[in-house]
Amino acid sequence: MFGTLGYRPKSLIPTLKSTKGVEKLVFYCGADREDPEAVKKVAEAKGEVLDYCAQMGFAVDAVELPDPFDFKRIALRIRADIRRHRKEGKSIAVFNIAGGTRPTSSAALLACILEGIPTVYIHDITYEEIPLPLLRIEYSKVLSGEERQILKVLRQHQGEDISEVALAGLVKKHKATVNHHIKNLISKGAVRLDKHPLDSRKRVVRVEESTDLLLGDDE
Amino acid sequence: MKILTSTFRDGDDEKILLAMRSLPYDRLVLFGHDDAEGPSLEKFRRLERLSGHEAGFREIGTASFMEMVDSISEELADLGSDKETGSRNEVTLNISGGSKIMGDAALLAAFRLGVEAYHCDRVVIKLPVLRGATAKDRFTGLQVRLLDVMADREKPLAEVIRAMQPNSKASSERTIRELRRLRLIKVRSEGGQVHLGLSSEGLEVARAVRFARAR
Repeated sequence: MFGTLGYRPKSLIPTLKSTKGVEKLVFYCGADREDPEAVKKVAEAKGEVLDYCAQMGFAVDAVELPDPFDFKRIALRIRADIRRHRKEGKSIAVFNIAGGTRPTSSAALLACILEGIPTVYIHDITYEEIPLPLLRIEYSKVLSGEERQILKVLRQHQGEDISEVALAGLVKKHKATVNHHIKNLISKGAVRLDKHPLDSRKRVVRVEESTDLLLGDDE
Repeated sequence: MKILTSTFRDGDDEKILLAMRSLPYDRLVLFGHDDAEGPSLEKFRRLERLSGHEAGFREIGTASFMEMVDSISEELADLGSDKETGSRNEVTLNISGGSKIMGDAALLAAFRLGVEAYHCDRVVIKLPVLRGATAKDRFTGLQVRLLDVMADREKPLAEVIRAMQPNSKASSERTIRELRRLRLIKVRSEGGQVHLGLSSEGLEVARAVRFARAR
């Protein structure tokens, strides 16, 4: 089971109780380091969750986020952890996104949407568990293999001014084929064409910043 | 028209201003709860008046998380088209304002409808909502029709087949099998009759299709 934690262990622990066969809890926490009260409260909550897991015999990974307000880094970190656990053959029963800072919770939800992980929220007052719908957006089906390859190459050359012709050379495909895929990627909002900084007649292909979040660090 | 929408509560000035500075728009519409009135909302109303537009405010209920997702989806779908001219509006959504639960509900709504979305808090992060990746885009016309037929309640198989006419029985049964394989349909036998209903995932897909179609 995965989760996010803020000040209240009660936002996380009910999911441990309601989920069958949990062997391990991975949870993400972190406080604004300039706010001593927040640091203290998060540390207390973390201690309580660790104590609960020790008593119950669950393995636990408490991940301290260096900046609990850095949406992008948190999303990438959580996504990489989910993928790593899956690669190791572990199945993720549920992700509780109720605790933590706003960016931490939203970043966790984003990772769950993209990875298709069942997600739950805990009601603030009743502590009732609310399952969120699985959107089942299968990006592997939205992006073709060729499109993913092109995105991968563009990310490897991020910061360079790559034209479609140059890109065709890099992916070893015909220019017309690459042009076709680039058109599709533009229509999906994954890349854009910008003017070349030195020659406004030319166009360079740029990956939209959201593609990092879409594909994750390890792709 | 370009419409910038954002989740909002009083005190969210920096986040909303960052979105306003960074994302091109003609009209600003804020989504908040009934306690959103305050100095911040007044400030945005004043700023927008200077540009010749009224800042819109749409109230989002607080009843439950999923009702919030539905409520934001409805507002986004409504803003997607101009009622007077019939033309389409370009809607973008910032999810960094408002309560944590509202931000998360807005994130789900953005993916459900395929609305361009951002997280503006100190920096602007574009979220990976891909166009052409909504529930509506993933299903065939016949599958969508079947979801519509079954959206309101569980029905006997014969009634579903009848409602799918003029599609043939064979084609409707094939579509039922397809959606069953995707675990969107539940089948139950009672008194020698087969009843079909949508699973919780099926209900969400039906809702998502309805909102995406309304955009």
